[in-house]
Amino acid sequence: MLSPAPRPPAPLPQQVLGAQLVVEALEAAGSEYIFGYPGGAIMPVYDALTGSSLKHILVRHEQAAALAADAYARVTGQAGVCLATSGPGATNLITGIANAFMDSVPMVAITGQVPTTLMGTDAFQEIDTFGLMMPIVKHSFLVRDPADIPHVFAEAFRIATMGRPGPVLIDLPKNVTNGFATRAELPVHQPKAIAFDSDAVAAADALIAAAVKPLLYVGGGVAMARAEDALRRFVARTAIPSVATLKGLGSIPTDDPTFIGMLGMHGSRAANIAVEECDLLICIGARFDDRATGKLASFAPNAKVIHLDADPSEIGKLRRAEVGFAGDIVAALDGFSAQPHVGDWLAHCQGRKRLWAPRYDAPGQGIYAPALLKTLADKAGDGAIFTCDVGLHQMWVAQHCRFSRPQAHLTSGGLGTMGYGVPAGIGALLAEPDATVITVSGDGSFMMNIQELATLRRYRLPLKIVLIDNSQLGMVRQWQELFFEENFSEIDLSDNPAFSEVAHAFGIEAFTIDCRDEVAGGIARLLGTGGPILMHVRIDPRENVWPLVPPNSPNVEMLEKRW
Amino acid sequence: MNARLDVDFVPAEGAMLRILGLIERRGYRIHELTLSERPQRSSSLSMLIEARDAGRQPDIVARQVGNLFDVSSVTLSPSQPSARP
Ligand SMILES: Cc1ncc(C[n+]2csc(CCOP(=O)(O)OP(=O)(O)O)c2C)c(N)n1
Repeated sequence: MLSPAPRPPAPLPQQVLGAQLVVEALEAAGSEYIFGYPGGAIMPVYDALTGSSLKHILVRHEQAAALAADAYARVTGQAGVCLATSGPGATNLITGIANAFMDSVPMVAITGQVPTTLMGTDAFQEIDTFGLMMPIVKHSFLVRDPADIPHVFAEAFRIATMGRPGPVLIDLPKNVTNGFATRAELPVHQPKAIAFDSDAVAAADALIAAAVKPLLYVGGGVAMARAEDALRRFVARTAIPSVATLKGLGSIPTDDPTFIGMLGMHGSRAANIAVEECDLLICIGARFDDRATGKLASFAPNAKVIHLDADPSEIGKLRRAEVGFAGDIVAALDGFSAQPHVGDWLAHCQGRKRLWAPRYDAPGQGIYAPALLKTLADKAGDGAIFTCDVGLHQMWVAQHCRFSRPQAHLTSGGLGTMGYGVPAGIGALLAEPDATVITVSGDGSFMMNIQELATLRRYRLPLKIVLIDNSQLGMVRQWQELFFEENFSEIDLSDNPAFSEVAHAFGIEAFTIDCRDEVAGGIARLLGTGGPILMHVRIDPRENVWPLVPPNSPNVEMLEKRW
Repeated sequence: MNARLDVDFVPAEGAMLRILGLIERRGYRIHELTLSERPQRSSSLSMLIEARDAGRQPDIVARQVGNLFDVSSVTLSPSQPSARP
């Protein structure tokens, strides 16, 4: 039921409707695509959208609007914009906004709200959106006067993108978007120059020069700060080996000879051992998250720490840093000039990487997902973008695909949101229409936003979906196997629908493969098709992800299974 | 560990909830809270905070409060032992 639109009062000359100011503010912020879903309280804005230069993508669930905006922002570096109505529209955005908050993604989320006179009365579709979102946004605005709209929007985009990026909420009561205001000039903000601490540079240089086994610990903050070129310059100058977190993958190309691998719970043995052995850890845009560090007390036990981050409150939060830089990562990296002698250490790390390289010759005729993903990534080439869901398949992508830039790997790192993959694929394709965009999903995750197949179809987005189907909630099953004495509780998905038929019903090309001989042909078909396509891959339900560091254990205590 | 936190902020919509909510969510109890109005649309909160476990360092939460957009300054000082009769 929609609430009837109250007729706005007649405007004074020179006055403009609040909703029109919203649209103009979005245009002024340079937004090209906005992702949303209409409803009563946001209808004035939808009315004003008609005829604007904004391209609105009508998703089929607000969660997908926020997740697509998140991926769009990760690829373009601009704030993603999502739009929903009050009440259920706003609550459906929450997961996507929390996802952006956890992964520090710039986003402006706009919600309709009941008129200010009704706020606090439990009106139809009223929810305290401002209060609900408070812990998961960088900042929030509740606009009470249409005259504030231009300023609030400009401020929201500035806050979302500056320093450590994050989502900003703008809650717009209906009488505000239906009200009138005079257009006003916006103040121009001059970004503050970042003071560069030369003492800290000298101290860091001294530590780098003295280190025998220095190691870079690269996080998602590098991509957020668009600092990958500076990082690559630094690596080219120093040849210091590196390891990356899940979100840091691609900042240094994964096939670069100095890159040792992903660290952490599902990281490579070579990477985790390098952290154990290093005497200097240079942490860049990472936050010592427990999935990366394992038991914190045993993480990099012999290392001094240099920590670079956009957020001052991350420095020293979980691990004391001998030298900390809060602010511009690029300036800091370019400011270092020490030239350490790391030839032997690098060779040692590379030897370990070769020794413990993953094997792809699993026995049997069933499809071995790591081998399939490795082949797929090699064939898709450097420009491809992978988006993932959450589970075993997500870790296989991180471990076995190659990434030459951080934007090539979009994953829900901090929140671990099942259902991220397909909406993220939509956002990525709109951000880079010429890229090959591949979503790797699991059968559990895919069902969480399966309705977005309709969005793919509507906008003819040529997303290539690889659905790794083990008919289980695989990652939960693995934990139950290892840590809950094989008490397999509520992980069976063997009554999944026939995924190819579902895709066909949405008007999307699809096919199923279930033995090894079909892999090469399947990948060729997937990559050779012009429109959206689903490759449904049946794999052995008992397949697990290795290595695995048990929770609260040091990273060197990896469980591994080999055939 | 106890510490005194003084926070100057612009009393924008939700500013107090943001500050107090963040401190509580980050694992601190708040005691002895005083709000005072300042000239030029500024307010000040003064409070005693107590970490819920020994692993938490008040200087980190002070920096996190400092990241909030309504907040103009944060001062952390060791708490004076309160003289009880
Ligand atoms: C929204 C949401 N609910 C629950 C979880 C917990 N969870 C993490 S992995 C996982 C199983 C994922 O199964 P599937 O998508 O089939 O992938 P697989 O592990 O089998 O590759 C679950 C339920 C989550 N991460 N997100």
